[in-house]
Amino acid sequence: MMLSHCLLLASALFAVGVYGLLTRRQAVAVLLSIELMANAANLCFIAFGHFRGGATGQTFALFSLAITVAEVAIGLALVILLYRSHGDTKVDLARELRQ
Amino acid sequence: MTETIAFGIGSFVALLSAVYVVRTANLVHAALWLGVTLLATAGLYAMLGASFLAGIQVLLYVGGVMTLMLFAVMITRRHEGLVVPADSTGRTRAAIASVVLFGVLAAAIGATPGLDAPAAAELPAQATTADIGRALVGQHVLAFEVVSFLLLAAVIGAIVIARRRDQEPAAAPVAARATSASEVTP
Amino acid sequence: MTPALTYAAVSVGAPILAAVVLAIVPGLRRRGAPAAFLCILGSVAAFGAAVLMLLDRLGGGAAEVASIPWLKSGGLPIADIGLRADGVSASMLAVVTLVALSVQVFSLGYMKSEEPPAFGRYFTYHALFLFSMNVLVVAPNLLQLFAGWELVGVTSYLLIGFYFKKPSAARAAVKAFWVTKFADMGLLFGLLVLYVATGSFGWNAHLTPGIATAVTLLFFFAVVGKSAQFPLHVWLPDAMEGPTPVSALLHAATMVAAGVYLVVRANPLFEQSETTRTVMLVLGAGTALFAALLALVQTDIKKVLAYSTCSQLGYMVAALGAGSMVGGFFHLTTHAFFKALLFLAAGSAIHAVHSNEIGDMGGLAKKMPLTGGAFIIGALALAGVPGLSGFFSKDLVLESVEGKLGSVPYAALLATAFLTAFYMGRVVFVAFYGKPSAKAAHAHEGDWSMRAPLVVLAALTVVGGAFTGTFTKLHGEEWHVHFGGGPAIAASLGLFGIGAAFVVYGRGPRAEAPAVIAFVDGVARTRIVNRLYEGLFHNVALVVADSLAWVDRYIVDGLINGLGYGVLEAGRRARPIQTGLAPDYVLAVIVGAIGVGLWAVWS
Repeated sequence: MMLSHCLLLASALFAVGVYGLLTRRQAVAVLLSIELMANAANLCFIAFGHFRGGATGQTFALFSLAITVAEVAIGLALVILLYRSHGDTKVDLARELRQ
Repeated sequence: MTETIAFGIGSFVALLSAVYVVRTANLVHAALWLGVTLLATAGLYAMLGASFLAGIQVLLYVGGVMTLMLFAVMITRRHEGLVVPADSTGRTRAAIASVVLFGVLAAAIGATPGLDAPAAAELPAQATTADIGRALVGQHVLAFEVVSFLLLAAVIGAIVIARRRDQEPAAAPVAARATSASEVTP
Repeated sequence: MTPALTYAAVSVGAPILAAVVLAIVPGLRRRGAPAAFLCILGSVAAFGAAVLMLLDRLGGGAAEVASIPWLKSGGLPIADIGLRADGVSASMLAVVTLVALSVQVFSLGYMKSEEPPAFGRYFTYHALFLFSMNVLVVAPNLLQLFAGWELVGVTSYLLIGFYFKKPSAARAAVKAFWVTKFADMGLLFGLLVLYVATGSFGWNAHLTPGIATAVTLLFFFAVVGKSAQFPLHVWLPDAMEGPTPVSALLHAATMVAAGVYLVVRANPLFEQSETTRTVMLVLGAGTALFAALLALVQTDIKKVLAYSTCSQLGYMVAALGAGSMVGGFFHLTTHAFFKALLFLAAGSAIHAVHSNEIGDMGGLAKKMPLTGGAFIIGALALAGVPGLSGFFSKDLVLESVEGKLGSVPYAALLATAFLTAFYMGRVVFVAFYGKPSAKAAHAHEGDWSMRAPLVVLAALTVVGGAFTGTFTKLHGEEWHVHFGGGPAIAASLGLFGIGAAFVVYGRGPRAEAPAVIAFVDGVARTRIVNRLYEGLFHNVALVVADSLAWVDRYIVDGLINGLGYGVLEAGRRARPIQTGLAPDYVLAVIVGAIGVGLWAVWS
């Protein structure tokens, strides 16, 4: 296993996440896709950390993880809000700013 | 050799379950498949010498985030069952976009010289948990503090955003006024 | 500063000081009487200074100039502004200030019935006018003269249009302004050519014949407008809409004389162009005759005097064209006195009968002896009766014109002399003798302010001839009294004219005019020159203006509006990109990210 293999895997996971982001209509599903993308990024961090040495890779993966967790919390709070106001959690329901 | 096989299996599982995450019609299944992806990734972390992070991944992501997602699914789909209705707008263009994105990233990876330069035998020293700890309170202490602050803000924010408004009209007038500016009236 | 220059400074400074005070302190102006007081005070100071300056200059001595740099271009001075005290400016200043003072005193009585605010406005304008005229007179170079020229144009517009609520008066003021402004282009372009040729605005330059002709012809074009020569005479009769004292000041003595003064000042330049002088001689003599004919058929006493002024200015222009600067200038001086006298006396008559028409007057000599006497003295001087000042100045003019261009202009001027005497006789006999009309029944003299100026001007008209020698000497020529052929012919023509007038009009106005007069009247009624201008204006000037306006509105503005419209359209077309739906924005982000990635890979 080489660095490039890891990075390619991470890119593939990221691309899958993008597909889900663009396709899914349920808010929770979109959040799941975002999780995939963040996970792919973390994989990159770890891979670089392994092949280049030092604690920076894993440390930043840790930070990234923490930030993602915070983002999920807020995202799910918004999903609950969306559900309360529209009765459903389809992503294109939040169109109040549209003319 | 074993290494390569293990890596291959891990990658395959991760990729396959990722595809299921974005393609299954059942929302709960999607969340569960995400859990599988995350577990596979944790395995990959362990193979890459980041055992501490593998453990954290399992704890936080699988145990925390995925659970939270399941909660959200339950809360928001009480009366219709758990089958997600069709969500196929723009599948083609999404596929194109993601394939193109992958292609660009792969090209970037391929175009970078010296990526695989140090052979497996000359790997630099792997960081231990102690190293991580030292980095957190040493070199990256600022980021550490900021992230902790961020977590605090996120927690408070999530509570504020999602609380029920009709239940506390007079109970906390100060809190109501303080947050009224950030309210988005439904 | 020498005494003469100090006097010049006072003559310019006193009126403008009065005008500025009246402009800044509206209370003074609106109360009426204080404005008159300040204005007249300024004019008295100016007049006193002018007289002292004249006495100083009579003692001989070179011209004195005091000036400071005025316009600079790239750090180098182009022109100066200042004062020039010499014989020419001293004599003109004396004439201008005297007539202005007389007119202003006369106005105290004539304009008494105006409301105080209007009364104050009137005198403020007078102060401004006197300042403008003096700036012109004492100018040390032609550029300042031009500045004074334009100022005079503006202030005369204000004065002519004094009764601005009356549409005909407002139109007359605008017409005067336009025609003279149109002619002023000549002065402007002439100055430009002069500057390019000589690098300064002085009049003592030596030019090549071509340039001299160009410059002087352009100057003369402005003179034709300002001094109401044919064909730019059309504004002068209409300008009689202004109050009569204003007509006395502007159209007898000062504003119209500014054109003649320009030629007098720039005489060194005019001497260098034979062509221009020929043009002046022909046009001046022609205008004199033409205007005299038109004066025959007017029934409005002011219009008679207006055309008479036009005619006499033609005399001056002809004299200048014939090469006699002194002749033209002296006639300007005597004409100023007796024409102002005539206008003021006419004003007194108008004030008494409340009408301008000579048909509404009659027998005024008995009812208003002073006015009648003054008018008659003025008329006799204008007719060139021997002994009065007009005779001497006319003589100088005729003497200079005699023999030039096959004596055709000379003959025209002699014919004009006859006509002048005739039409003035007509007015005298119809308005001042015979039976009074209904309106004239209660005529009576005005108060002291309307009588004193008449006396002063009449006296000057009578004795003015005695100063002929002094005047010519002041301007470097010798003059000998001679009662030879020329003066004799002119004088007898004048007397003959008066006699003919008596024969025709001695018994009052006639129901049927004589055939010649009826013919001239018919021609005059066609208003052909005015119609020509109207036609030119509507069919040429307005057409050009309209097409330019079209270009401005549709092409220039269209360009700008089109740009604005284009921007708005682009915005409108681009707006649908913003759907307000999150998934679309996400797609946009991904596409952007792909773009960045591609760029990163391929650079």
